[in-house]
Amino acid sequence: MADLSKVGTEYSPITWEVERGKIRELAKAIGDPDPIYLDKEAAVAEGYKDTPAPPTFLIVPMMWCDKMPAIINDLKINFMMLLHGEEEYEYYRQIYPGDVITGTPKVTNIEEKESKSGSRMDMVTLEVLYKNQRGEDVAKSRSLIIERK
Amino acid sequence: MAQKLFYEDIHVGDDMPELVKGPIQKLQHVMYAGASGDFNPLHTDDDFARAVGMKDGVIAHGMLIMGFAGQAITGWVPKKYLKKFGVRFSGMTKPGSTISITGKVMDKRVENGENIIFCEVVARDENEDVKITGHFEASLPNRN
Repeated sequence: MADLSKVGTEYSPITWEVERGKIRELAKAIGDPDPIYLDKEAAVAEGYKDTPAPPTFLIVPMMWCDKMPAIINDLKINFMMLLHGEEEYEYYRQIYPGDVITGTPKVTNIEEKESKSGSRMDMVTLEVLYKNQRGEDVAKSRSLIIERK
Repeated sequence: MAQKLFYEDIHVGDDMPELVKGPIQKLQHVMYAGASGDFNPLHTDDDFARAVGMKDGVIAHGMLIMGFAGQAITGWVPKKYLKKFGVRFSGMTKPGSTISITGKVMDKRVENGENIIFCEVVARDENEDVKITGHFEASLPNRN
Protein backbone atom coordinates (compact mmCIF):
# COMPACT_ATOMS: atom_id res chain seq x y z
CA MET A 1 0.00 0.00 0.00
CA ALA A 2 0.98 3.62 -0.39
CA ASP A 3 3.29 4.91 2.34
CA LEU A 4 1.08 7.34 4.30
CA SER A 5 4.09 9.00 5.93
CA LYS A 6 5.03 10.52 2.56
CA VAL A 7 2.48 13.35 2.66
CA GLY A 8 4.36 16.62 2.20
CA THR A 9 7.35 14.98 0.53
CA GLU A 10 9.00 17.11 -2.16
CA TYR A 11 11.01 15.38 -4.85
CA SER A 12 14.01 16.68 -6.74
CA PRO A 13 12.98 18.94 -9.61
CA ILE A 14 12.23 17.92 -13.17
CA THR A 15 14.02 20.16 -15.67
CA TRP A 16 12.93 20.04 -19.29
CA GLU A 17 14.01 21.99 -22.35
CA VAL A 18 10.97 22.46 -24.56
CA GLU A 19 11.55 21.65 -28.22
CA ARG A 20 9.37 22.68 -31.15
CA GLY A 21 9.54 19.11 -32.46
CA LYS A 22 8.19 17.66 -29.22
CA ILE A 23 5.23 20.05 -29.27
CA ARG A 24 4.54 19.03 -32.86
CA GLU A 25 4.96 15.34 -32.01
CA LEU A 26 2.41 15.51 -29.19
CA ALA A 27 -0.11 17.38 -31.38
CA LYS A 28 0.42 14.78 -34.13
CA ALA A 29 -0.02 11.86 -31.70
CA ILE A 30 -3.29 13.34 -30.44
CA GLY A 31 -4.27 14.00 -34.06
CA ASP A 32 -4.80 17.72 -33.44
CA PRO A 33 -4.40 19.50 -36.81
CA ASP A 34 -4.48 23.02 -35.29
CA PRO A 35 -1.66 24.87 -37.10
CA ILE A 36 -0.76 26.89 -33.98
CA TYR A 37 0.91 23.73 -32.60
CA LEU A 38 2.63 22.82 -35.87
CA ASP A 39 3.70 26.02 -37.56
CA LYS A 40 5.38 29.05 -35.98
CA GLU A 41 3.99 31.48 -38.58
CA ALA A 42 0.43 30.32 -37.96
CA ALA A 43 0.95 30.65 -34.20
CA VAL A 44 2.39 34.17 -34.52
CA ALA A 45 -0.57 35.17 -36.70
CA GLU A 46 -2.84 34.12 -33.81
CA GLY A 47 -0.97 36.22 -31.26
CA TYR A 48 1.51 33.67 -29.88
CA LYS A 49 5.26 34.17 -29.70
CA ASP A 50 5.86 30.71 -31.17
CA THR A 51 4.06 27.33 -31.29
CA PRO A 52 2.54 27.02 -27.80
CA ALA A 53 2.56 23.76 -25.86
CA PRO A 54 -0.85 22.00 -26.11
CA PRO A 55 -3.00 21.80 -22.94
CA THR A 56 -1.78 18.33 -21.92
CA PHE A 57 1.92 18.92 -22.68
CA LEU A 58 3.06 18.64 -19.05
CA ILE A 59 2.73 14.85 -19.27
CA VAL A 60 5.86 14.99 -21.46
CA PRO A 61 8.41 16.23 -18.90
CA MET A 62 6.76 14.11 -16.19
CA MET A 63 7.06 10.85 -18.15
CA TRP A 64 10.23 11.46 -20.16
CA CYS A 65 12.21 12.43 -17.04
CA ASP A 66 11.25 9.03 -15.56
CA LYS A 67 9.97 10.95 -12.57
CA MET A 68 6.60 9.28 -12.26
CA PRO A 69 7.98 5.72 -11.95
CA ALA A 70 10.56 6.94 -9.40
CA ILE A 71 7.87 8.61 -7.30
CA ILE A 72 5.61 5.57 -7.52
CA ASN A 73 8.49 3.40 -6.27
CA ASP A 74 9.25 5.80 -3.44
CA LEU A 75 5.59 5.80 -2.36
CA LYS A 76 5.72 1.95 -2.34
CA ILE A 77 2.75 1.76 -4.72
CA ASN A 78 2.31 -1.53 -6.56
CA PHE A 79 2.69 -0.55 -10.22
CA MET A 80 0.35 -3.39 -11.31
CA MET A 81 -2.49 -1.99 -9.19
CA LEU A 82 -2.06 1.60 -10.32
CA LEU A 83 -4.79 3.75 -11.87
CA HIS A 84 -4.65 7.35 -13.03
CA GLY A 85 -7.75 8.83 -11.38
CA GLU A 86 -7.66 12.51 -12.24
CA GLU A 87 -5.45 15.06 -13.96
CA GLU A 88 -5.79 18.84 -13.72
CA TYR A 89 -3.81 21.81 -14.99
CA GLU A 90 -3.76 25.48 -14.14
CA TYR A 91 -2.14 27.65 -16.80
CA TYR A 92 -0.37 30.91 -15.91
CA ARG A 93 1.77 31.55 -19.01
CA GLN A 94 2.31 29.93 -22.40
CA ILE A 95 5.11 27.38 -22.73
CA TYR A 96 7.13 27.92 -25.91
CA PRO A 97 9.99 26.17 -27.74
CA GLY A 98 13.28 27.10 -26.12
CA ASP A 99 11.76 27.49 -22.67
CA VAL A 100 13.46 25.52 -19.92
CA ILE A 101 10.80 24.54 -17.41
CA THR A 102 11.48 23.22 -13.96
CA GLY A 103 8.87 21.52 -11.80
CA THR A 104 9.06 20.35 -8.21
CA PRO A 105 6.73 17.39 -7.52
CA LYS A 106 5.10 17.35 -4.11
CA VAL A 107 2.80 14.82 -2.45
CA THR A 108 -0.03 16.95 -1.09
CA ASN A 109 -2.44 14.26 0.11
CA ILE A 110 -2.75 10.52 0.69
CA GLU A 111 -6.00 9.01 1.88
CA GLU A 112 -7.61 5.61 1.96
CA LYS A 113 -11.09 5.26 0.49
CA GLU A 114 -13.60 2.51 -0.05
CA SER A 115 -15.13 2.09 -3.50
CA LYS A 116 -18.86 1.45 -4.07
CA SER A 117 -18.05 -2.24 -4.46
CA GLY A 118 -16.38 -2.27 -1.04
CA SER A 119 -12.77 -2.62 -2.19
CA ARG A 120 -10.21 -0.37 -0.55
CA MET A 121 -7.84 1.95 -2.34
CA ASP A 122 -5.26 4.60 -1.58
CA MET A 123 -5.62 7.97 -3.27
CA VAL A 124 -2.38 9.94 -3.71
CA THR A 125 -2.39 13.56 -4.89
CA LEU A 126 0.77 14.82 -6.56
CA GLU A 127 1.20 18.49 -7.46
CA VAL A 128 3.93 20.00 -9.62
CA LEU A 129 4.44 23.75 -9.98
CA TYR A 130 6.43 24.52 -13.13
CA LYS A 131 8.54 27.66 -13.58
CA ASN A 132 10.34 28.84 -16.70
CA GLN A 133 13.96 29.98 -17.11
CA ARG A 134 12.98 33.49 -15.96
CA GLY A 135 11.58 32.11 -12.70
CA GLU A 136 7.99 32.85 -13.76
CA ASP A 137 5.24 30.39 -12.83
CA VAL A 138 3.97 28.79 -16.04
CA ALA A 139 1.59 26.06 -14.89
CA LYS A 140 0.63 23.70 -12.12
CA SER A 141 -0.36 20.07 -12.55
CA ARG A 142 -2.32 17.99 -10.08
CA SER A 143 -2.51 14.22 -10.53
CA LEU A 144 -4.61 11.79 -8.53
CA ILE A 145 -3.02 8.36 -8.48
CA ILE A 146 -5.06 5.41 -7.23
CA GLU A 147 -3.67 2.16 -5.88
CA ARG A 148 -6.20 -0.65 -5.75
CA LYS A 149 -5.73 -3.04 -2.85
CA MET B 1 -8.08 26.67 -35.21
CA ALA B 2 -10.30 28.51 -32.74
CA GLN B 3 -12.16 31.52 -34.08
CA LYS B 4 -12.30 34.83 -32.25
CA LEU B 5 -14.46 34.50 -29.16
CA PHE B 6 -15.78 37.26 -26.93
CA TYR B 7 -17.23 37.09 -23.43
CA GLU B 8 -20.46 38.71 -24.57
CA ASP B 9 -21.02 35.97 -27.15
CA ILE B 10 -20.98 33.14 -24.61
CA HIS B 11 -24.11 32.23 -22.67
CA VAL B 12 -24.72 29.76 -19.87
CA GLY B 13 -26.04 26.58 -21.46
CA ASP B 14 -24.18 27.07 -24.74
CA ASP B 15 -22.69 23.89 -26.21
CA MET B 16 -19.07 23.58 -27.21
CA PRO B 17 -18.84 22.29 -30.81
CA GLU B 18 -18.68 18.47 -30.68
CA LEU B 19 -15.45 16.78 -31.76
CA VAL B 20 -15.47 13.16 -32.95
CA LYS B 21 -12.18 11.24 -32.86
CA GLY B 22 -11.34 7.79 -34.14
CA PRO B 23 -11.84 4.95 -34.62
CA ILE B 24 -8.68 4.80 -32.49
CA GLN B 25 -5.97 2.59 -34.01
CA LYS B 26 -3.37 0.68 -31.98
CA LEU B 27 -0.82 2.66 -34.01
CA GLN B 28 -2.06 5.79 -32.27
CA HIS B 29 -1.26 4.19 -28.88
CA VAL B 30 2.31 3.72 -30.10
CA MET B 31 2.53 7.30 -31.36
CA TYR B 32 1.15 8.61 -28.07
CA ALA B 33 3.55 6.45 -26.04
CA GLY B 34 6.49 7.94 -27.94
CA ALA B 35 5.21 11.51 -27.75
CA SER B 36 4.26 11.44 -24.08
CA GLY B 37 6.98 9.13 -22.80
CA ASP B 38 4.40 6.84 -21.16
CA PHE B 39 5.68 3.42 -22.21
CA ASN B 40 3.47 1.34 -19.91
CA PRO B 41 3.06 -1.83 -22.06
CA LEU B 42 -0.60 -1.96 -21.03
CA HIS B 43 -1.13 0.43 -23.95
CA THR B 44 1.02 -1.21 -26.62
CA ASP B 45 1.56 -4.91 -25.86
CA ASP B 46 -1.51 -7.18 -26.11
CA ASP B 47 0.23 -10.10 -24.37
CA PHE B 48 1.16 -7.91 -21.41
CA ALA B 49 -2.32 -6.38 -21.24
CA ARG B 50 -3.96 -9.84 -21.20
CA ALA B 51 -1.53 -10.97 -18.50
CA VAL B 52 -2.73 -8.13 -16.26
CA GLY B 53 -6.39 -8.91 -16.82
CA MET B 54 -7.44 -7.03 -19.97
CA LYS B 55 -9.04 -9.91 -21.85
CA ASP B 56 -9.27 -7.95 -25.11
CA GLY B 57 -5.70 -6.68 -24.94
CA VAL B 58 -4.35 -3.13 -24.89
CA ILE B 59 -6.28 -0.05 -23.80
CA ALA B 60 -5.66 3.57 -24.79
CA HIS B 61 -3.73 5.96 -22.56
CA GLY B 62 -6.20 7.97 -20.47
CA MET B 63 -4.07 11.00 -21.26
CA LEU B 64 -4.71 10.46 -24.99
CA ILE B 65 -8.43 10.86 -24.34
CA MET B 66 -7.66 13.97 -22.25
CA GLY B 67 -5.62 15.15 -25.25
CA PHE B 68 -8.72 14.72 -27.45
CA ALA B 69 -10.67 16.85 -24.97
CA GLY B 70 -7.89 19.45 -25.09
CA GLN B 71 -8.16 19.46 -28.90
CA ALA B 72 -11.93 20.01 -28.66
CA ILE B 73 -11.48 22.85 -26.15
CA THR B 74 -8.68 24.74 -27.92
CA GLY B 75 -10.48 24.25 -31.24
CA TRP B 76 -13.21 26.39 -29.71
CA VAL B 77 -11.58 28.63 -27.07
CA PRO B 78 -8.15 29.95 -28.15
CA LYS B 79 -5.38 28.21 -26.16
CA LYS B 80 -4.11 31.54 -24.82
CA TYR B 81 -7.40 32.09 -22.95
CA LEU B 82 -7.44 28.68 -21.22
CA LYS B 83 -6.87 29.01 -17.46
CA LYS B 84 -7.72 25.61 -16.04
CA PHE B 85 -8.51 22.13 -17.40
CA GLY B 86 -9.08 19.00 -15.37
CA VAL B 87 -10.57 15.56 -15.90
CA ARG B 88 -11.56 12.44 -14.01
CA PHE B 89 -10.82 9.18 -15.80
CA SER B 90 -13.88 6.99 -15.48
CA GLY B 91 -13.63 4.30 -18.13
CA MET B 92 -11.10 2.39 -20.20
CA THR B 93 -10.97 2.90 -23.97
CA LYS B 94 -10.33 0.01 -26.37
CA PRO B 95 -8.83 0.29 -29.85
CA GLY B 96 -11.52 0.68 -32.49
CA SER B 97 -13.52 3.05 -30.30
CA THR B 98 -14.88 6.30 -31.64
CA ILE B 99 -14.77 9.05 -29.03
CA SER B 100 -17.08 12.05 -29.00
CA ILE B 101 -16.14 15.11 -26.97
CA THR B 102 -18.94 17.42 -25.90
CA GLY B 103 -18.98 20.40 -23.58
CA LYS B 104 -21.29 22.98 -22.10
CA VAL B 105 -21.00 26.42 -20.51
CA MET B 106 -22.11 26.05 -16.88
CA ASP B 107 -21.45 29.58 -15.59
CA LYS B 108 -19.86 32.89 -16.51
CA ARG B 109 -18.82 35.73 -14.23
CA VAL B 110 -16.23 38.47 -13.79
CA GLU B 111 -13.59 37.53 -11.20
CA ASN B 112 -10.70 39.85 -10.32
CA GLY B 113 -11.37 41.83 -13.47
CA GLU B 114 -11.28 38.74 -15.71
CA ASN B 115 -14.23 37.44 -17.76
CA ILE B 116 -14.30 33.79 -16.79
CA ILE B 117 -16.41 31.07 -18.39
CA PHE B 118 -16.82 27.78 -16.51
CA CYS B 119 -17.48 24.76 -18.69
CA GLU B 120 -17.85 21.02 -18.39
CA VAL B 121 -16.45 18.51 -20.87
CA VAL B 122 -17.32 14.83 -21.39
CA ALA B 123 -15.82 12.10 -23.59
CA ARG B 124 -18.02 9.16 -24.56
CA ASP B 125 -17.57 6.23 -26.92
CA GLU B 126 -20.04 5.09 -29.59
CA ASN B 127 -21.99 3.13 -26.94
CA GLU B 128 -22.39 6.28 -24.81
CA ASP B 129 -19.99 4.86 -22.21
CA VAL B 130 -18.35 7.79 -20.42
CA LYS B 131 -14.54 7.80 -20.59
CA ILE B 132 -13.75 11.09 -18.93
CA THR B 133 -15.69 13.87 -17.27
CA GLY B 134 -14.02 17.19 -16.70
CA HIS B 135 -14.13 20.92 -16.49
CA PHE B 136 -12.30 23.92 -17.88
CA GLU B 137 -12.16 27.65 -17.32
CA ALA B 138 -11.17 30.36 -19.77
CA SER B 139 -10.69 34.10 -19.50
CA LEU B 140 -12.25 35.80 -22.52
CA PRO B 141 -11.79 39.32 -23.88
CA ASN B 142 -14.61 41.83 -24.18
CA ARG B 143 -15.89 42.66 -27.63
CA ASN B 144 -14.84 46.30 -27.15
